[in-house]
Amino acid sequence: MYTSVVRLQNVFGFFTTVAFVVAAFIAASDFVTERAPIVRTLKTTSVQVVRGRPHYYSSKKEEYAIINFSLDADLSSLFTWNTKQVFVYVSAEWPAADHAKTNATNEAVIWDTIITSPSADHLANIGPVAMKKLRKSAGGKSIDPNRGKLSLKNQRHKYKITHPSGKLAMTDNVTLRLHYNVQPWVGLLTWDQDVDYGYWKALKNGVSKRFKLPAIKEKKAASAGAR
Amino acid sequence: MLSGLANPRQAAVQLMNFGLILSTAFMMWKGLSVITDSPSPIVVVLSGSMEPAFQRGDLLFLWNRNVVAETSVGEIVVYNVKGKDIPIVHRIVRKFGKGPEAKLLTKGDNNVSDDTELYASGQDYLVRKDIIGSVFAYIPFVGYVTILLSEHPWLKTVMLGLMGLVVVLQRE
Repeated sequence: MYTSVVRLQNVFGFFTTVAFVVAAFIAASDFVTERAPIVRTLKTTSVQVVRGRPHYYSSKKEEYAIINFSLDADLSSLFTWNTKQVFVYVSAEWPAADHAKTNATNEAVIWDTIITSPSADHLANIGPVAMKKLRKSAGGKSIDPNRGKLSLKNQRHKYKITHPSGKLAMTDNVTLRLHYNVQPWVGLLTWDQDVDYGYWKALKNGVSKRFKLPAIKEKKAASAGAR
Repeated sequence: MLSGLANPRQAAVQLMNFGLILSTAFMMWKGLSVITDSPSPIVVVLSGSMEPAFQRGDLLFLWNRNVVAETSVGEIVVYNVKGKDIPIVHRIVRKFGKGPEAKLLTKGDNNVSDDTELYASGQDYLVRKDIIGSVFAYIPFVGYVTILLSEHPWLKTVMLGLMGLVVVLQRE
């Protein structure tokens, strides 16, 4: 029965089938593309603990850790034709109070950034001037692995971190850890990994040395007097 | 024209076929729900708070089992706030402790501040059971039709009417 309705259904059905097969092929191409991300340097440059309030109208006082760091990493192999953006974040990790019994840890992000692939630049939420600069930086290419090369010196933290107990000062065995999340145009979302899977190598050297948070920094006047 | 009405046996067969299609779709949805252990294994993005990763109308596939590792910092999760039934898709940025009572804080990549404001009053953190799944796969744009349907309810009537008409008019 070849009515126009049936023909329309066939055309639409064929279109969706082809679209899904092509999408599946693109998604699968990720698995045969090499990934070898490495971190050359990840270290703290300044660490302090201050007392503060969660927001202006709160009377609760909490301790906040302020961690600035340096990072030198090469994530350029994560940028392929199916990469929409790479979300890069640095977290601080430290053992929980009951760590000895349960092996529990605390983890909090101190800094993050979104690196768009040039093909996704138009989606970035930035002002017109920054947008123009971003587009120009790709130099007309639709894939730009150079964006995966990060070199940050004494990078300021983006988030002050705290703990539900409000106590953080003198915490020992804190480490910084670099993570990434690759957002594809279609297919599986992937994160940094500890072991190799096929063509994807584990993130090398992504953890900093252990460090200890200092005691609470006293008010300006007091520290000036001590000096 | 209206052959179905003239022949009651054919009309009954067509009705059965229509019912079969609906129940197959329903069973596949529920089967997926059982496999992923999530009440809603596929969700459509409704807001721009995770841009540029997810736009409105993109389709996300969720996984809600902790087979290899616990749900941890960096994962993009869908959660429901107590007393509100709008699912929110955001990223976990803090995790304190371990197990089902671990305290989790989320934030949208495109938002300036974290989600403390979005949570129910008196709720400072999420726990594992508030989460209905972690995003593991992504297809762009396909879910936009559901946004159109919910924003323009008359489209639903038109679509149902058209489907009914096709079922009645179709001979085979």
